[in-house]
Amino acid sequence: MLSFILRRLGQSSVLVLIMSVLVFAGMYVVSDPVAVLAGDDFTEEDRQALARELGVDKPLITQYLVFLSNIAKGDFGVSFVYNRPVLDLILERLPATLEVAVLAISMGLILGIPMGIYSGLNREKKATKSISFLTTVGYSIPNFWQALLLILLCSVWLKILPASGRGDTTDLFGIPVSFLNWDGFSHMLLPAVNLAIYKICMQTRLSRSGTQEVMYQDYMTFARAKGISKMRRIRRHLLRNILLPIVTITGLELGGLIAFSTVTETVFSWPGIGKLLLDSIHHADRPVVVAYLIGITLMFVTINFVVDVLYALLDPRIRYK
Amino acid sequence: MSKQDPTRLEKIWKAFRGHPIAIAGLIGITFFLLVAFFAPLLAPQNPYDQTQLDILDGLLPPMSQLGTGQTSWLGTDALGRDILSAVMYGLRISLFVSFVAVIVGSGLGVFLGLLAAMKRGWVETVIMRSVDLKMSFPGILLALMLLAMFGTGVDKVIYALIIGAWASKARLVRSVALSEMKKEYIDAARLAGIGNLRIMLRFLLPNSISPVLVVLPMAISGAITAEATLSFLGVGVPITEPSLGLLIANGNDYLLSGKWWISIFPGLVLVAMVLCINVVADRIRDHANPYLRGKE
Amino acid sequence: MTQSETKSVDQTAGPQSLMKVSDLTIAYPMEEGEIFRALKKLSIDIAPGQIVGIVGESGAGKSTIGKASLGLLDDNAIIETGSVTLDGAVISGLLEEGYDAIRGKKIGYIYQNPMTALNPVLTIGEQLIEAIEANTEKRGDDARDYAISLLEKAEVPYAEDRLSKYPHQLSGGLCQRIVFAIAISAKPDLIIADEPTTALDVTVQKAVLETLRSLAKQDNIAIILITHDMSVVANMCDYVYVLRYGELVEHGPTRQILTEPKEDYSRELMASIPRIDHYVERFAVPGLGNVKDRTRALAYLMEHKTDQTIPKGEPLLKVRNISKTFVSEAGIFTSASPFKALDDVSFDVYSGETLGIVGESGSGKSTIGRIILGLHESDPGHEILYKGRNIAELTSRKDRLAHCMSLQCIFQDPYSSLNPRMSAGNNITYALQSNGLLSGSAARELAGDLLELVGLSRSDASKMPHAFSGGERQRIGIARALSFRPDFIFCDEPTSALDVTVQAELLNLLKDLQDELGLTMLFVSHDLAVVRQMCDRVLVMKSGKVMEAGPCAEVLTTPKDDYTKSLLDAMPRIVFE
Repeated sequence: MLSFILRRLGQSSVLVLIMSVLVFAGMYVVSDPVAVLAGDDFTEEDRQALARELGVDKPLITQYLVFLSNIAKGDFGVSFVYNRPVLDLILERLPATLEVAVLAISMGLILGIPMGIYSGLNREKKATKSISFLTTVGYSIPNFWQALLLILLCSVWLKILPASGRGDTTDLFGIPVSFLNWDGFSHMLLPAVNLAIYKICMQTRLSRSGTQEVMYQDYMTFARAKGISKMRRIRRHLLRNILLPIVTITGLELGGLIAFSTVTETVFSWPGIGKLLLDSIHHADRPVVVAYLIGITLMFVTINFVVDVLYALLDPRIRYK
Repeated sequence: MSKQDPTRLEKIWKAFRGHPIAIAGLIGITFFLLVAFFAPLLAPQNPYDQTQLDILDGLLPPMSQLGTGQTSWLGTDALGRDILSAVMYGLRISLFVSFVAVIVGSGLGVFLGLLAAMKRGWVETVIMRSVDLKMSFPGILLALMLLAMFGTGVDKVIYALIIGAWASKARLVRSVALSEMKKEYIDAARLAGIGNLRIMLRFLLPNSISPVLVVLPMAISGAITAEATLSFLGVGVPITEPSLGLLIANGNDYLLSGKWWISIFPGLVLVAMVLCINVVADRIRDHANPYLRGKE
Repeated sequence: MTQSETKSVDQTAGPQSLMKVSDLTIAYPMEEGEIFRALKKLSIDIAPGQIVGIVGESGAGKSTIGKASLGLLDDNAIIETGSVTLDGAVISGLLEEGYDAIRGKKIGYIYQNPMTALNPVLTIGEQLIEAIEANTEKRGDDARDYAISLLEKAEVPYAEDRLSKYPHQLSGGLCQRIVFAIAISAKPDLIIADEPTTALDVTVQKAVLETLRSLAKQDNIAIILITHDMSVVANMCDYVYVLRYGELVEHGPTRQILTEPKEDYSRELMASIPRIDHYVERFAVPGLGNVKDRTRALAYLMEHKTDQTIPKGEPLLKVRNISKTFVSEAGIFTSASPFKALDDVSFDVYSGETLGIVGESGSGKSTIGRIILGLHESDPGHEILYKGRNIAELTSRKDRLAHCMSLQCIFQDPYSSLNPRMSAGNNITYALQSNGLLSGSAARELAGDLLELVGLSRSDASKMPHAFSGGERQRIGIARALSFRPDFIFCDEPTSALDVTVQAELLNLLKDLQDELGLTMLFVSHDLAVVRQMCDRVLVMKSGKVMEAGPCAEVLTTPKDDYTKSLLDAMPRIVFE
């Protein structure tokens, strides 16, 4: 176990390092920050001064090392647009993104798993076919357009839910959150539902295919032959086997969700890190983009690692190998 | 056409027979492909041609008369562009971008997957670690990143989507090819002195490609969605070649003022097309799934 | 659904009858309106406490009987005629709830493969105790104590510790004993055992069957033993039913069926069984090759048959000191560890003889062949001389190709040894064509000739592999190996996946070919009786080492080594005192 953790830590550090090189190369080498920042009236001296100020006059390798050591110190620089430390900006917006993501994932799990198991067990029923078609529709609607539809329906026509912004927040352990008061929660609903529709469809399919696969295993037939009741076969034999892949994918998808929140947050003007990223891309706010990418890399690496360990702990075949 | 050996077409037909939704999907795909291909002939106006546009026709609701006397079935946008024509041309771009990206990307992925399974050793390590690297990021984020670095444009979007497409196919093909490599017919081929390239193309490829073919429709619909999303976010195709996603984005600003048609019609077409592909993809996948086929 | 007339108590069932299968036909609708009947008008009678064998080869419909009795048939199965009755009550075609009182309580079920029958993510205890709680009155600690006593009864050592273990932590034999414990937990009247030892190693089969029998005797449980293995029947059963293609061929007391079968098929079945105590020139099964024109293929194969340049008395193949170490990949909780598959093995193979290698799984017997063929690298420090030349010194492409073609292999698994995406003909001749040794038309000609040589027909060349049965595929594999005009053939358990009559046909074919072509063979098998029939000399292997070597007749009748003795002891035999 220890050697596994060490090995994975090693692999993860290599991954983060490679990402840092790619991000550095992409952000610092491909686009010339001086050209981006320099006004039309800059003289050649002004440009050189700016280059010196930004540290881009030094050799690439030195620049990279400075970049890396700054990151290691948690110093991602100052946003060009907001003129504030990037880390503060991101940390400030993270709760907004996370609370929507958690709400969406919970909806996905709570609705998706039962629907999936039901349709896996009852292949020929009408309800199964409807569920199956609906999940395909849910899969097929692009997230951003679905968001527009939700706005059109709930905000423009029915006028029951607000279309943009975060609404009032309540402090929880010093962190402002929306879900504890109605105004905030109502603002949160549309973005969360928008993210959740895809999640629900995915969880449904995942549990459905898992169920179908497990149902045909010998041990399910054997459990039937040895006189175990249907409910018990589903609760113990089936659920334990299909929860394993669900844990994995849910974990990995948490990352995907946060990435996808760029779209949702942009449409709903939800002040999370996704919207921050997109705004920063449009405004060429390099330090923010860099910090976001590095942060996301770290997050993915951590999630993958936790999921792997969790999977190993849950699956006795790996645990007692 | 003997009984034991149905042709490929017969096999495909067998997968769809008795599944009206899937057949409707196939018909829908054919329809959209034809419309996209013949858009210049079918569209009432050329939406790229500034001379055909009249700003006075701007923001007309569906079924309005244009200055030229034509009826604009689906209304017009702020520039006076006929939405129906714009959608037809947009479809062209969306389909072109996604088909090219998925086919090139999957081809690359299949090749790398086969290579990894055959060569093992460091070749496999390098390929598979790159796959892991790619797969640890959601595709849309990676594409955003690349487009943020390299700028936008049709070609850039295609590159970004190729980068999004190869890795999962490489992983899929490798895992299948690895289990095929353990089978005895590969040993037999080696014993017969058949060269590596031939083993790869005649033995490994035909026996490992099926799972990729099964996920291909899903990959295409995914690429269409991804392209639309990127264009919607303003980092995809340029304004001069508006895909469906960009059309939707253009209408976004007018949505809250009740001018819904600019965003909704391109969106409906987008969803209809993706849905058609996905129901077909579902059918193919279910048909290929041994657990669903039962005792055939 | 069952017909109404069979619902009443069957008058013909005597007081002796426990379970009765009468006139049972089970059909599966296939594509294009065809119907496949797994069982056709089958009638079987089991008395309380009786052990009844149901034997047959694949496709005989044996397993369907067990599934029909427990309501485990696939959803699309139709009971066309007949019924199964237990104690006079109909138990076939009931609704799901109808089986609550039967499954586990009146009928216990034993699966072919214990490793897949047990749920991998639940402990042994959970799976055993849930069966006890479902089928008996015992709960909580009572159930747990009972579980331990059941495991002890099934001769599972350290019973209490095993409760907290997961299936993959135990051996196949132990898992099967646990399945036994589950099956007898409610003291059922009947156990249906579907190939209970097929998935187990030969050396544990006997003991596991012994346990099953003693468990049944203790509680006077009747057993339906479904098997393809005549020796299992001989050792276990009081009465036997022989099935073929879903129909009853013959039934009677075990001894009678095994010693004086009346029907042709039963006789053929008995004659196909390789015997360790009795050598036969050819198995007495209908041949297939005689009607075909084999002369052209034989002429092709004998052409260029150079008289080898090996001096008289020198072996064709000389293997010295081969060892092979595999290093297992590191897992999450384990580190990489080396494993010695072969340890310093040396032997000679002379021209025209067949050398057998026997051993259990994991003994390294297949690895030897793979090293000789060049599919595995051996550890350094070895020497393999073929026709007097060290194969490590073959460097030119031409030499290597010629060497490749001279040593060929007949593989174990007929379902994976042919390229599924190539026609049978292409499978046979693709390599010769791609190496530029044969033109397209000559290749087609040759494929046809070789197919006839192995007892198939010319027109089979255009069919894809999936259209053939296992035995036919094996023949195609033989044709492919022969296409290179080899001198040496490595047979890697070539019949272990086949039914016994098909095995007999194939072994006959191999013997014919050897006689006609003077082939040299290395024949690997786990089945001592097959080796006895096929080989001149034999090596007995265990854990990568040669335990004993010598002439077949000698080693397999008067073994000197203890391990050989134990192998021979464990071997299932058909013997009547």
